[in-house]
Amino acid sequence: MARRNGLVFVVILALFAFAVWTIVPINGTRFGHKGMRLGLDLVGGVYLVYQANFSENTSTADMSAAMDREVSIIQKRIDTFGVTEPIIQKLGDDRILIQLPGFTDIDAAKQLVEQTGFLEFRDVELNTSGGVVYLKDYLSANVTDFFDDNETAPRLFVNETGQGSDYGKFVAFMNKVNGVLTFTDTNGNPVDNATLQKYGDMAAWIPARGDDGTPLTGDLLTDAQAKLGGNLGTTPEVDITWNSKGSVIFDELAARLYNPTDTYSLDHALGIFLDNNLLSAPQVRAQAFHGSGVISGSFTVASAQSLANLLKSGSLPVQLKSTPLFQQTVSATLGTDSLTRSLRAGIIGIAIVMLFMIAYYRLLGGVATAALFVYGAISLTIFKLIPITLTLPGIAGFIISVGMAVDANILIFERMKEEMRAGRTLEASVAEGFRRAWPSIRDSNVSTFITCIILYWFGNTFGAFMVKGFALTLFIGVAVSMFSAIMVTRTFLIALIRTQFKQGVLGSIK
Amino acid sequence: MIDFVGKRYWYFLFSAIIIVPGVISLIVFGLKTGIDFKSGTDMTVQFTPNVEQSKLRQELESLGYGDAVIQTTSEGDFLIRLREISTQEKQALTDNLTTALSSNVTIKQFAVVSSSVASQTVRYAVIAVVVAAAGILLYITFAFRKMPNPFRWGTCAVIALVHDILLVLGVFSILGWVAGVQIDALFITGMLTVAGYSVHDTIVVFDRIRENLTKGISKDFEEVVNYSIVQTFTRSLNTSLTVIFVLLGLFLLGGATIHYFTLVLLIGVTTGTYSSICNASQLLIVWNNNEWGRFIGRKPAPAAPARAR
Repeated sequence: MARRNGLVFVVILALFAFAVWTIVPINGTRFGHKGMRLGLDLVGGVYLVYQANFSENTSTADMSAAMDREVSIIQKRIDTFGVTEPIIQKLGDDRILIQLPGFTDIDAAKQLVEQTGFLEFRDVELNTSGGVVYLKDYLSANVTDFFDDNETAPRLFVNETGQGSDYGKFVAFMNKVNGVLTFTDTNGNPVDNATLQKYGDMAAWIPARGDDGTPLTGDLLTDAQAKLGGNLGTTPEVDITWNSKGSVIFDELAARLYNPTDTYSLDHALGIFLDNNLLSAPQVRAQAFHGSGVISGSFTVASAQSLANLLKSGSLPVQLKSTPLFQQTVSATLGTDSLTRSLRAGIIGIAIVMLFMIAYYRLLGGVATAALFVYGAISLTIFKLIPITLTLPGIAGFIISVGMAVDANILIFERMKEEMRAGRTLEASVAEGFRRAWPSIRDSNVSTFITCIILYWFGNTFGAFMVKGFALTLFIGVAVSMFSAIMVTRTFLIALIRTQFKQGVLGSIK
Repeated sequence: MIDFVGKRYWYFLFSAIIIVPGVISLIVFGLKTGIDFKSGTDMTVQFTPNVEQSKLRQELESLGYGDAVIQTTSEGDFLIRLREISTQEKQALTDNLTTALSSNVTIKQFAVVSSSVASQTVRYAVIAVVVAAAGILLYITFAFRKMPNPFRWGTCAVIALVHDILLVLGVFSILGWVAGVQIDALFITGMLTVAGYSVHDTIVVFDRIRENLTKGISKDFEEVVNYSIVQTFTRSLNTSLTVIFVLLGLFLLGGATIHYFTLVLLIGVTTGTYSSICNASQLLIVWNNNEWGRFIGRKPAPAAPARAR
């Protein structure tokens, strides 16, 4: 017995030393984890939850595949921000959670994520006599079908004569639904007639297809780079590189749309569209491009760069509903402030608990305090190594679990006192105290575990990171506290009894 | 030995006194729900130099946010609650406030919850509470499966739990219309934690009653319960004190985000300890002695000795 206790004592000390080595210094790197992982309520950051806009009859398998792609594309886009530990996750079937700790520009983040990034090329629709088809042509009373009835894809109308920021803005889609031509916006809602009349002079854009019918889209790109181009080499543009298939289609289109003259005409234009807005509609002035091309438009250096990044990351397989379900941003100052406040509050609270234990239980309380240090070091090590993202409620959960850890000790000590009063020897009382207090400790903590599990589920289902953080730390804290109360306190106490402190222990129990 | 069980009806009366006002408030005013449950915008804004709250209110009203709720935080910032706003509206709002109040606006915290997620949060919160209650009830029945009436013990523990939950709900209902305190997802978290703690505490006392019954220290059930309460009293008190110390630290110094969350826990832990001694255990006696009639004031207590069950 004596040897066994000595062995356990050594193991606990080794464990404690290991734990301290792992977590000190607090910013140190151990096993590839640098410092504690802090939630964005403590370091500042952006938190977004989006819902994908699936059509009603999408199968679960398709949804899941699309969502996985969606996550990896958003990941690529976020990477351009240089956020240290971004979290981009699928949430349920059709939601995406984005956490950017340390990055606080929520509007930039939203803009980057919300863009579908769908690049497509279109040319204008021509009627049977070769004339450009305009919106007003479709608004005439007797038109019930497409002018070019070989092309059945929706027509796109944009404000191609708009000035400044109005240039190329989406106006309407036109689709044939049950034999009726219908004008809708991007969400499928009808567009009112006044708007349509206003944009009557806008051309109908149809997908630019290769000879085999494949439309030319951003999916066929292999690379996109921002550069300075134009005649003076000062205009920001985006260089694109096509894959072999894209290259073939692009050249087929060039041959078809080639404009040998110097005058601009819409029927020789290749419209470049991003998410249904026209970027530019350059004239095709070469008959072959051999796999490369340039996207021009009214770019700044920054916007050309972000377009290049967007094109490289690829387009989202499914659109995100443009208002996030949930959005939050916490400034870095508020985060740091919360962290210092809660830590200070926690340290003061725990110090009072330790003082109280020592004042009330004297040497026993000292043992409990020592056990509390072991408990704290082990818990923090677990938090660091898993790693668990610490949030403000998470820290609260940990601090509360300290209070609960002490409960186990109190149960045991009170039990020992009773056993002593019942006339047992010190050694027997200690043994009995632990043995008899155990069922209470076990049974009472199970209810906390049940609540933690339910809370974790509750927090995880819709991405409430604060709730989840609390449930996790409280669960781990209570679990470790059971270990510490039984193993650590007992081992320390038995070791103490064997030394000259036995009288002290005796004195503090009586 | 202190007589804990003799005054049980005084405890019940005391519980009624602290719970009834809150329950009335709950029925009349309900709870003020935050954006987690009803959608909208929450923002913590700092003005440099600082502006007067009345001026800010006036300005928000002229910008079309007449129903905005404005509170000052302990740091001197403003907590503004609005309907759900878009990125553009947010930009326009900060721009307009900057010009109108000629003060620099810093948004320290900004959160928007859309209505579809808010209604879902409500649903999930309800599911979480129901599942937690069922799980705890099942667990208690399991923990006391070796006792003659596991269901009876479970019910008493649950009544104590409901007592604690009702008290917290009541206090927050009153705080809602007195101080504009709103409940959020963290509030639900706090409530469930309180539920867990309440049962935790009750089980420790019940465990001792169970042990003493098996030991057969007395034939009188009341005496056994009283003895068990006395034995566990120091523990109950000391444990609550330690938890209350840490919670008080967090409540007083921990910052705004978890201020009311720790208040939920603080009230819950205190009443949790009280209710396991003064309600759960006492109800066991009431049930055992079949005093339910007297409980509602109809007939005197039967003088027959208890059956130690």
